[in-house]
Amino acid sequence: MSRVLPWLLVMPATLVILILLVLPLLDTVSVTFIQQEGVFAGYQEFFDRRFNRVVLWRTVRIALIVTAIAVAIGFPTAYFIARAPRSWRGILIVASVFPLLTSTVVRSFAWIVILGRNGMINETLMWLGLTGEPLSMLYTEGAIIVGLAYLFSPLMILSLVGVLENIDKSVVEASISLGASPTKTFWRVILPLAMPGVIVGAVLVFTGSFTSYTTPVLLGGQRNTVLSTLMFRQAMVEFDWVAASTIAVIMMVVTITVVLTMSRVARRLNPAAA
Amino acid sequence: MMRISMVSVAALAVACLSGSAWAQDNGTLVISTWGFNGDLLEEHLYAPFEEEHGVEIVIDSGNNADRLSRARIRDGGDIDLIYLADAFTQQAIDDGLFAAIDRSQIPNIEQIYPIAQAPHGEEYGPAYTVGRYGIIYDSAATDTPVTSWGDLWRDEFAGQITIPGINTTAGQLIVIAAADQAGVDAFEDPDAAFASLAELAPNLLTTYGRSSELVNLFAQGEVVIAPAQDFAFGRIQDAVPTAVWAELDEGAFANLNAINVLASSDQLELAHAFINWHLDADVQQTMAEVGVDAPVNVNVQLDPETAARWTYGQAVIDSLRTPDYAQLNAVRDDWTDRWNDVIAQ
Repeated sequence: MSRVLPWLLVMPATLVILILLVLPLLDTVSVTFIQQEGVFAGYQEFFDRRFNRVVLWRTVRIALIVTAIAVAIGFPTAYFIARAPRSWRGILIVASVFPLLTSTVVRSFAWIVILGRNGMINETLMWLGLTGEPLSMLYTEGAIIVGLAYLFSPLMILSLVGVLENIDKSVVEASISLGASPTKTFWRVILPLAMPGVIVGAVLVFTGSFTSYTTPVLLGGQRNTVLSTLMFRQAMVEFDWVAASTIAVIMMVVTITVVLTMSRVARRLNPAAA
Repeated sequence: MMRISMVSVAALAVACLSGSAWAQDNGTLVISTWGFNGDLLEEHLYAPFEEEHGVEIVIDSGNNADRLSRARIRDGGDIDLIYLADAFTQQAIDDGLFAAIDRSQIPNIEQIYPIAQAPHGEEYGPAYTVGRYGIIYDSAATDTPVTSWGDLWRDEFAGQITIPGINTTAGQLIVIAAADQAGVDAFEDPDAAFASLAELAPNLLTTYGRSSELVNLFAQGEVVIAPAQDFAFGRIQDAVPTAVWAELDEGAFANLNAINVLASSDQLELAHAFINWHLDADVQQTMAEVGVDAPVNVNVQLDPETAARWTYGQAVIDSLRTPDYAQLNAVRDDWTDRWNDVIAQ
């Protein structure tokens, strides 16, 4: 009885995942390979079009840049929070994850107000006399990157705070007392020890940016197509579900590849971490 | 999808339980249409028909693409009638989704503008309303009035112009306007048409997918000019009082929303009766007066104030250009690829 019970308890959740996740996923993947013209015909067609290659590269590029920005902004912020007095830490964490508490649509609209032709930045620049004509910032790749970096940086901060808090202060003190400069201490001691947090954060930010739909639609407009908006168009406008599934599979492959590469890099930087 | 079946089941249950109350029970008629103005349509179009014919009307609402997609996936499903804009009607025809209509069962067709009688051929349904696809612009943004499609190419609008995406109802029509600029026929010489469009591409702020997006772009001052369907004009003018509808030398394009019967329908007689009902002069008059749709019935008489907001009157109708949607749909894939190369990147 005691051997069967755990299985019985796990069964409902397993069945739900199997029926609602695994089977539909298999269906999505298999349909892209079962084509009259050949197993890889769908993929051949996707990559034959220059437009699709441009969209794929744009999506990967945006996700990588956003991840880099999130690390650059998130690391110092998380370090500051981790070193802050305990009583302050909770408030600082809440403040940094505050963007996550509002809807993506609201946040993107905020950026429309900021980046728009009559938006805050343009009004300030024109008031300062730095530009005569409003700059075109909205509906560009830059607008997508700004919106996504704002959206996903909190995830990076959250994953780093925990790791940085657990770095033993005496390790850092030992490094300094043994004559390492603060810079060297950072690169040789703190960063490698924080690597698990960086990797978790980078995976979350990358996959989030790579698959996001609302922000590219609202801030990039229709001309800055990314894979998720292309997939939506294939499925809901062109009614080409096989092409949409093909894009879904390509997105999965890219995500898995990037995640594996990241953990390999992490292992090289800190063999104990991965 | 679910909603319809649930509603149908509920309707059926009610019908069975109150058998005697429904002396003349003709079951349900499922109509796929836009959700816009649903309450007005219910009051003036559906309810009177339901009463007269002893039928329960069930609405499947959504935009063109969503509804057509639902109908396709289920091979028509339980939908009897579907309202679609021209380009989507053509796609449904090419997919073989529609039944051939019997014009003898729709006598009111004789009363509507010839342009609306058979926009997709005699076999398919008539248009119940007519709209225009032309240019809306902010008259405060330029000293020279816009009088031609070619004015979209003016340098003064650089960075402040948007056009609809190729996959929208009227998306392909800009290619025809571009071909006019190049002095060629878009179907015979797409290279030249898209080369002309490529000259416009650097000036575009973005492309839009829904008229609500366009209203926002105007309201936020992001754009000052755009090709658009006239039903969006009122809302744009609310946001930008200096916005005007351009009178174009080459003429605006006609937008004809058609009603068709699904091949899978088992309510053929009622479906025809409903089309006839929507084309009735009194119904069309009411629709125009309460602000739902422009009339196509020539016997509708509107006062000047009501007429001003609609595409109305023989002279206006005669000035419209009617694109060949069968031809447009045939080149859709090719044009979409070209568009992606020229506009989308």
